Amino acid sequence: MNEVTVHLTVQHQPRTMIIPARTTLADLLRDHLGLTGTHLGCEQGVCGACTVLLDDLPVRACLTLAAACEGAEVITVEGLEGPDAERLRACFAEQGALQCGFCTPGMLLAGYYLVRGRQPLSREEVCQAMSGNICRCTGYNAIVRAIEAAISQGIEAETAPAQTVPRSSGAPAAGTEE
Amino acid sequence: MKPAAFDYHRPAGTAEAVRLLSDLGDDAKVIAGGQSLLPIMNMRLAEPAHLVDVTGIAELRQTTVDASGARYGATTTHMRFEYQLVPDVTGGLLSRMAAGIGYQAIRNRGTVGGSLAHSDPSAEWPTVMAALDAAVHVLSVRGMRRVPVRDLLLGFFSTALEPDELIVDVEVGRLPASTRWGVCKTARKPGEFAESLAVALMEHDATPRIRQPRLWLGAAADTPVRLAGTERLVEGHDVDAVTADDLVVPIAADLGADPGAGDPAARYVLHLHAVTVHRALRAVHEEVSDE
Repeated sequence: MNEVTVHLTVQHQPRTMIIPARTTLADLLRDHLGLTGTHLGCEQGVCGACTVLLDDLPVRACLTLAAACEGAEVITVEGLEGPDAERLRACFAEQGALQCGFCTPGMLLAGYYLVRGRQPLSREEVCQAMSGNICRCTGYNAIVRAIEAAISQGIEAETAPAQTVPRSSGAPAAGTEE
Repeated sequence: MKPAAFDYHRPAGTAEAVRLLSDLGDDAKVIAGGQSLLPIMNMRLAEPAHLVDVTGIAELRQTTVDASGARYGATTTHMRFEYQLVPDVTGGLLSRMAAGIGYQAIRNRGTVGGSLAHSDPSAEWPTVMAALDAAVHVLSVRGMRRVPVRDLLLGFFSTALEPDELIVDVEVGRLPASTRWGVCKTARKPGEFAESLAVALMEHDATPRIRQPRLWLGAAADTPVRLAGTERLVEGHDVDAVTADDLVVPIAADLGADPGAGDPAARYVLHLHAVTVHRALRAVHEEVSDE
């Protein structure tokens, strides 16, 4: 059982893969499917460069065995689509939120999760939420500005046509900067 | 930075899982979220011959709640506690602790049972579950047994689990409405393991008086430590009258450390624990005054 068969969906496409059991999700994506947008930095869960969406939630692809993804849906930076993804990419471009680009896939995936959340976040809360993604160029200011802008645009897009709906769910308290 | 080869097993039920663990013996390791095990395997600090992945077992994801408390399935992720997708029978304490674990991507995979089985004293679950006097239910081919978390945790990465035993769920008693909690985690950066981790429980009092405190400290020894001497010292005092400096000597006594140690680093660590416990104590009353 050194080899395993795993059925999963990658960018909405069903796949059946026969792989060594020790293959991580990151290595499956990069080495078996050629999706090299998922970057491997530390391979111990610290740097966040390998972040992908697994069943809609960001996870570390380096700390996820491919075999454990049986039946799961995976979206990588190459498959990040929709208005929120476009907002985020545009904001990254406007703010110059990348230098060498190594951390960018993970930043986009982690940032996408915040944009999709439709929760207003203070700058400090964005920094906290992004603390699991390391940029060794230290370009954090532009990255945080880009994510703040994309969060605001996402909320505006939702509330602009209709009346503003007060958010009163059990979500964590959020600041109201700006 | 890749794990060594292993045989992978993905049982569909707990009976199959414990049968595998029994057959495979010492060479097998249970994996759930893998957020602690995979870094260790990637660094080749652990090279188990067999991995038994329990994340395919539906019954380990179930939570049952009654008047006395809850039994959280072992593979309930930190994220599910954080966002209270499982009922929180502790008035928000479990949710608050879960939100402090690692990063969102870690919390989406890591599990409560996995964290307890891993027994890292600077992690959140061992300290809070010891403070709450939670227990784990453990299954093997010999049957089920109940192990209080305080007896489960034996040391760094060391537990009372036999190699063929599997944590099935975590039993947490309902915190009475009169019991208040406060926590404080000191770490260099959000998401890091704690350098000090304090959980304070006490009975509600309309005044700032500290009433029946139960104080637990993580990241200070190889298992969470109950600060029994410190509890006696602060009992009955007004929280505003207690300073962090007052706590250094009793905390040192509870830890068996020397508050007058010549080594400045050792004195710094004691001070860090005192500040962390002090903030947890104050946090209890901040929660109360918010009402």
